[in-house]
Amino acid sequence: MRSPLMVWGLGTLGVVILCLGYAGVFQGEIINPGGWGQVWQFIAASAQPDLSPELLRVTGKATLVTLSYAVCGTFLNLLLAIGGGLLSSEVWWLSVFPDRSRGRPPALWLGVRALLAIPRAIHELVWGLFFVNIWGLDPLGAILAIGIPFGAITAKVFADILDETPRQALTVLLNSGVAAPSAFAYSLIPQAFLNLLSYTFYRFECSIRSAAVLGIIGAGGLGYEILLSLQSLQYRQLWTLIDALIILNGLVDFGSAWLRQQLGCPNRMDLTVHAPNRTVGETRSPYLLLPVLLLVPICFWYLHPNVAHLWAPRTGKLLTQIVQASLPPDFSLVPQLLPLSLQTLAMSVPAIAVAALGGLILAFPAAHNLFLPGGILHRSRSGIGGRSGAWGLLLLARMILLLCRAIPAPIWALVILFVFFPGILPGALALGLHNLGILGRLLAEVIENLDQRPLEALQAQGSPPSLLFLYGVLPLTLPRFLAYALYRWEVCMRETVIVGVVGAGGLGQLLTEQLSSFDYRGVVTTLGCLVLLTFSVDWFSGMMRRSLR
Amino acid sequence: MNKRTFLAGLLTSIVFSLGACSSEPSATNPSPTSGKGTPLAVGAIPDQDPEKLQRLYSKLAKYLEAELGVPVTYKPVTDYTAAVTAFKVGDLDLVWFGGLTGVQARLQVPGAEAIAQRDIDAQFHSVFIAHKKTGIAPIQDIKDLTVLKGRTITFGSESSTSGRLMPQFFLQQAGLKLSDFKGQVGFSKSHDATLKLVEAGTYEIGAMNEQVWLSRLKEGTIDQSKVQIIWRTPAYYDYHWVINPAVKERYGADFPQKVQTALQKLNPDVPEQKELLELFGAKKFIPTENTNYAQIEKIGREIGKIK
Repeated sequence: MRSPLMVWGLGTLGVVILCLGYAGVFQGEIINPGGWGQVWQFIAASAQPDLSPELLRVTGKATLVTLSYAVCGTFLNLLLAIGGGLLSSEVWWLSVFPDRSRGRPPALWLGVRALLAIPRAIHELVWGLFFVNIWGLDPLGAILAIGIPFGAITAKVFADILDETPRQALTVLLNSGVAAPSAFAYSLIPQAFLNLLSYTFYRFECSIRSAAVLGIIGAGGLGYEILLSLQSLQYRQLWTLIDALIILNGLVDFGSAWLRQQLGCPNRMDLTVHAPNRTVGETRSPYLLLPVLLLVPICFWYLHPNVAHLWAPRTGKLLTQIVQASLPPDFSLVPQLLPLSLQTLAMSVPAIAVAALGGLILAFPAAHNLFLPGGILHRSRSGIGGRSGAWGLLLLARMILLLCRAIPAPIWALVILFVFFPGILPGALALGLHNLGILGRLLAEVIENLDQRPLEALQAQGSPPSLLFLYGVLPLTLPRFLAYALYRWEVCMRETVIVGVVGAGGLGQLLTEQLSSFDYRGVVTTLGCLVLLTFSVDWFSGMMRRSLR
Repeated sequence: MNKRTFLAGLLTSIVFSLGACSSEPSATNPSPTSGKGTPLAVGAIPDQDPEKLQRLYSKLAKYLEAELGVPVTYKPVTDYTAAVTAFKVGDLDLVWFGGLTGVQARLQVPGAEAIAQRDIDAQFHSVFIAHKKTGIAPIQDIKDLTVLKGRTITFGSESSTSGRLMPQFFLQQAGLKLSDFKGQVGFSKSHDATLKLVEAGTYEIGAMNEQVWLSRLKEGTIDQSKVQIIWRTPAYYDYHWVINPAVKERYGADFPQKVQTALQKLNPDVPEQKELLELFGAKKFIPTENTNYAQIEKIGREIGKIK
């Protein structure tokens, strides 16, 4: 257990340093002190957001639009994930074709997995622009731009959950002659239900952030308004909108955590361990899901996407047009793609390093079961001062995490760029900060759901909090931390596409240039390269995660 | 509640939601061929803050509705690429484009026409700005742009005419390639961001729209001890309204002329219309035509923004 961790740890450190070197961190100036005035203006404006009734009305409406996109997008995401998850799980194919494969799933399984990897590798914004090409400015495009890539991501996670759910009950049913679909419906799916549900809630939180970014291609909502006020540098208006985004994110995150607690599934999917005692249980209070489900029709009604577009003849015509315009791919670009891929990788690695390290540091104070009274590391004799200190620390850590993840990466990029010279580093920092907020929250939840028994055992032996932390909390959480961080690496890579402002080049800048030149053949080539890069990152992170088990 | 009723409730709500999304749109989004009742979809690349835009939208839509006698809806899009694409697929009928995006849009929609521009757009200029610390003196002759070699530079948006296309063209004329600059060229996405990034010293040089520079100067938000103009480009045609030929089938063959007249009629002496013009940053709108943008198209092809 310890040795692969060491090897990977040192290896990772080496790669991060290499990437930072490539980013030019060890040579020349990186910080631009002249920009502090601008950043200060931005920060100072946060104290006095613009609260004029006109802007508040705009903000309120934009918030509803963003929420609705997230709800509709998640609904679609779920539909796709249920189908895709089943078809890309090993256990499904093994159950359907029990004889053909001696423990090895058929090629079809690998095919579905590969097929699902393509939508995952493409950023929602690019999907959105593609849908404008076939459906025009319809809410449908934005909903699908969230639903399709997220559906593919969720399908993969659903498949992993199904594959890691204990199979005894399923095997019994299959062996007694029950058809595979019924066997699944009565064994594996109810067993895995809570885990699936829990992950769905997480996806909903992601959809909110994504809906905000999508605003800029005509979907409207908070992203659109934020972009406008940022373009004209109206920081006070910007903060009103960002505050709305923070409140929305905070409410959704809090609501989702509370609901999961009520439903009895506080654990998110465990990415590393084959947990032998995965909770197989009843949903505690399923009726709580009904109001959530009611939101779906309401949001569809609010956005009224034109579903008829899906089968309208115009769609077919436009789709043919765009496919024709995109083929054949422009292979003359290939020689320049390799250096650009390296630039993209070199941005994603320090980004995930910042996110993982920052998330790790903030996750401990943000978890409610460590320092608070009654917590594992709480000193029982501390007075009121200590207690309120612990609460203050918890709130502060949670606020920082919320702020980090609620502000979209392109905005972080612009703010950071004022005090850094252009290049890979400001881009990596922007992506790092945004993802830090997401990882920190995930990690805090890992800590809150720790297996208490080993810790209680240590505590009973009289271990002081520092040792309890070093020998109890840290070893129990670290592998899962790493698994989440590796998982998030892929996301950081996709997001390099949206921080072009930092002048770091890479595949993202090429792609934006091609999209704005309507060079569809070039777009297809670059996207192909991005997909391949994502495959490699995916493969590599999978390998690392397996060796950490 | 037992599991079965729960599942039944779940199913009902899913079916309900599907029903809602299939029946609702037919009532609100009539098909585009249904003639006069279909609203004229007006779009624009907004470069104002949300509060100003809110006023601009409602005023413009109301004015055009009264003048043209057809319903008007305003669909704001911030992304140049998305706006061109939406114009191509027919979701936008009348769009306020930049020079380059207008050409890109017309090339994708045969029969589309440039109909009107602001008084300032026929003689539009970009400015190159530099941080004072660079010590670059104002440039008199275009050939002297070569002193910029080895500096860092940022443009605005990738498909901006004044923030990218024309500046890059003039650099090319002086014999400068993008690879002659230090590091990667930046794309700040907006003129204001270019200005602030150069003022901060992040980039040494920036290229931006002169109109934005002048209005920020008037507002007093530029720190002139840090940033200055080093070169003003020659004049070229920029922003303009482009109309989709599909409107002729819907509202009659003379509809583009009607729109042109309506825009031209905006009068700074009428207080309501004065505010509208001010929001656009114009004294009045004047007619324009496709041929005015031949130079932009040629440069667009040279630089690779038009394939």
